Amino acid sequence: MLRISLAIALVVAAALDVAPALGHFDVTDRYTHRSCPASVANRSDPVNVVLTTWGTWGRAGSQIVAHAGWTATSGSTQSFVDHGGCFAMHTQRASGTGSRFHVRLRGQHQDPTLGWVAAASAHHEDLVLFPLPCGHAVDSNGAGGSGFDQGRDELERRLVAAGHVSSRVWWGNTQSFKQCDGDYASSDGWTAFVSLHQVNH
Amino acid sequence: MCALAALGLAGAGTAGGRAVAERSRLGDEIDPLFFAGDRVEGHPLVAVLRRSGDVEFVSFVYGDCAPLDDTGCAPPVEVQVWPACRRSIALYDSSPVGLDLERTTVRGVPGAVLDGGTRLELQTGRSTVVVFADSRARLTRIAGSLRPLDGGAGRGSALPAPAAGAVEGRLAC
Repeated sequence: MLRISLAIALVVAAALDVAPALGHFDVTDRYTHRSCPASVANRSDPVNVVLTTWGTWGRAGSQIVAHAGWTATSGSTQSFVDHGGCFAMHTQRASGTGSRFHVRLRGQHQDPTLGWVAAASAHHEDLVLFPLPCGHAVDSNGAGGSGFDQGRDELERRLVAAGHVSSRVWWGNTQSFKQCDGDYASSDGWTAFVSLHQVNH
Repeated sequence: MCALAALGLAGAGTAGGRAVAERSRLGDEIDPLFFAGDRVEGHPLVAVLRRSGDVEFVSFVYGDCAPLDDTGCAPPVEVQVWPACRRSIALYDSSPVGLDLERTTVRGVPGAVLDGGTRLELQTGRSTVVVFADSRARLTRIAGSLRPLDGGAGRGSALPAPAAGAVEGRLAC
């Protein structure tokens, strides 16, 4: 009976596009996906930031706006994996519409150790106009590493400057991703875990 | 300072030739330097990437994909080779969250399978070889295809044992 009830709950959750509240932070898939169902072939960006403690996606979005000033909300939709399901991101923030910092977020349910958690993929991307316009491409090189590293570092820096605690965890998700300008970008494999506050400030 | 250099493979010379040329530009930091040949699992070698600095690796990219505006794409196969002093399986020991890491042995050297069977990391010599593919079966076949860029051990033969301290993450760069 319990198995049947759980199965029904999972089916209903999937139908409602809601991840089941299974009580721990799911890190089995450390990439975002351009579509669902998730596959290796449709991986798009590395997850490189995790907001914890009071890391609901609403708070994450608000505090990114407040501390980083990333108020733009334009960008393509990507999806995150959560307990075996594939779900569209909850929100995104960016520092502008041209060349910019950009982050996509998806909240998960509470974890007994980490609290409320949201997974995020942050990056810096250029608006490519020459030689052929193609839109936004994550930086393949730069003074601070790849565009994935730059985005994570900038977001972490801004949140830490506002009083949030951060630490780094090795995830090794360094797969290279081809960008629309023909270059490749990869994470350096480190994920920033940043604790958010209960009250937006 | 990190630099990710993508060497396009259009034009004269084979992909393997370009890879060998790249090898000559590297010092002894990544030793041995492995790749999966000019072609693996039906995918040609299309790019050799090098990243230097605190994050250091050589990457052999096999097969193409179609990126979009604001959305990158994952090539079908990738082989990254890192200095073991920069990347080792020991790095996962300190993770506060559970990672789906399965320890294994491939071609006689210690390794780990992660990401639901889509990433394989092998410790050999003073290097850590990381293979990305879409299935465990494919990872296994690619691992069997690995060979030194400058010749040496053949496909399928035992890989060089890891240097002392490499698996434990105690090598100095």
